[in-house]
Amino acid sequence: MLKNILDKSRQVVFPVARTLTRSSVHGNVVNESPAAVATPAGTKTPLILPQNYGEYAPVSRNTPRQAWIENTDAVQERKVGLIELHPDVFAAQPRVDIIQENVEWQRKYRYVSFAQTKTRAEVRGGGRKPWPQKGMGRARHGSIRSPLFKGGGVVHGPRSPTTHFYMLPFYKRVLGLTSTLSVKLAQDDLHIIENVDIPTKDGQFLKDLIAERNWGPSVLIVDEDHMFPANICQATDELGYVNLMPSFGLNVYSMLKHDTLVLTVAAVKHLEQRLLYQLNRSDAASKGGKFKLDQV
Amino acid sequence: MAHLRETSDKALKLLRTLPRVQIGNLRPNPNSKQNDKRGRAQHGGDKHGAGNKGSGQRQNFMRLGYETGNQPFYLRFPYEPYYKGHHMKRQYPPISLLQLQVLIDTNRIDTSQPIDISTLCNSGLLKLKPAELEYGFQLTDDGLDNFKAKINIEVQHASEAVIAAIEKNGGVIRTAYYDPRSLHMLVNPKKWFQKGVPIPSRMLPPQDAVDYYTNPKNRGYLANPEEISQDRLVLAQKYGYELPKIEKDSAYEMLTTAKDPRQVFYGLEPGWLVNIVDKTITKRKD
Repeated sequence: MLKNILDKSRQVVFPVARTLTRSSVHGNVVNESPAAVATPAGTKTPLILPQNYGEYAPVSRNTPRQAWIENTDAVQERKVGLIELHPDVFAAQPRVDIIQENVEWQRKYRYVSFAQTKTRAEVRGGGRKPWPQKGMGRARHGSIRSPLFKGGGVVHGPRSPTTHFYMLPFYKRVLGLTSTLSVKLAQDDLHIIENVDIPTKDGQFLKDLIAERNWGPSVLIVDEDHMFPANICQATDELGYVNLMPSFGLNVYSMLKHDTLVLTVAAVKHLEQRLLYQLNRSDAASKGGKFKLDQV
Repeated sequence: MAHLRETSDKALKLLRTLPRVQIGNLRPNPNSKQNDKRGRAQHGGDKHGAGNKGSGQRQNFMRLGYETGNQPFYLRFPYEPYYKGHHMKRQYPPISLLQLQVLIDTNRIDTSQPIDISTLCNSGLLKLKPAELEYGFQLTDDGLDNFKAKINIEVQHASEAVIAAIEKNGGVIRTAYYDPRSLHMLVNPKKWFQKGVPIPSRMLPPQDAVDYYTNPKNRGYLANPEEISQDRLVLAQKYGYELPKIEKDSAYEMLTTAKDPRQVFYGLEPGWLVNIVDKTITKRKD
């Protein structure tokens, strides 16, 4: 435990430890390889996954991002390999304002307010003139349910159902995802694992793993496939703060709801492919139109 | 973009020393939200900034051009000949050679195919609105010195310098007229094919455009091809470059591809029916 805290504090003191520049990474890999990427005899050799810039060249090649691929077969952390992340997705401008707009949109678009008040017409009674217009020495009134009366109707009160649905512009949603992923990586809250095959269905294993690696407490685990293996499903079932999600469902709100985001290598590749397609498509202007219901 | 790259890197470095970005500590940009309540008293109350009485308070502004009793400017002069028929004049939105070169360099245009209005519109960066009397593109000479591509292009208007710049690189340029319906088809072919209607034939140009499109100097599509090849040599001599021989070019086939004056799409003849669902073409029997 103490060692973990020391490790974490070392990362704060030397912030380049996780996200390194290209040149320094190669140096570090060479230096650290005997210790950090040491693999037990008989297992696979360390995996290096370089970024293929052939299809989508990054805006800048000076800000590459690399991350360790971690194991999930044991509580003890072991670096299985190194993955190069696309800077347009994982080192994008961290637009915190757009992240906020995404969070607000995700809260509002599905929210329907059922608050309801009665108008003077809907309140029971009040059809009769309470007293004659003149001669009583009292103020003139036509109904005891007028808004001036106690127990009368409400003017401009909330009416049910009120939808708060709206669509955030498409590229604000795309930018929200790239910004959040970049923020998570920059703040050491993004971890990459090789797969989601854990050896046991016991939830304690995940608890130990999360404590050992200083994740969380709340963790969102994302894989490309929506059918997760039985072990991890059963292990996370009883842990309310560890959740599973397929990468097609990844969203800004869920990423921020959890302290740590854990992506599998397949999920990283899928997210990169989808987001880079949207960032580079030539008919992007067609996505800027007004939102239409039931559009294809 | 350079400043953006630097700021993103700086911002991400700064974020490493800041508390974790969470739902609880996010807030919108300052002053980005409009308050939907009207201030009271000293907070913009009283008349709420609209003043006292009159058009300011009632928001009933004078109609456009009205000059409070004077003879308005737009009625003062009885005759403006330079606007005569302006609602019928054909518009040709410009694209420059620089824009074209950038589109080619960024892989938005494939130079191994002939370029026409469809190619330009499908790049996603250029728009043509036939409903607003835009009859096609004119190619302008901005970026003329940096134009390096060898292309076969069909536009609706081009100047002599532009024609020379394209032919100097071994390319081919042609100016052609399209009637509004053909333009409508070319702007978004996919949408038009979805109608499932046989392709109509292209109309011939109107009287006042015939001279332009039959002139070999403009590389008009109705000009005599022999006169055009003669004029290619004349232009090369005038601008002082050696005309590359397209007969010996490996892309000879592509460079000499041209549409029939009645044809709208490359490779598709009038009367053919394109079924975009089954991806089949039904051809005419004769």
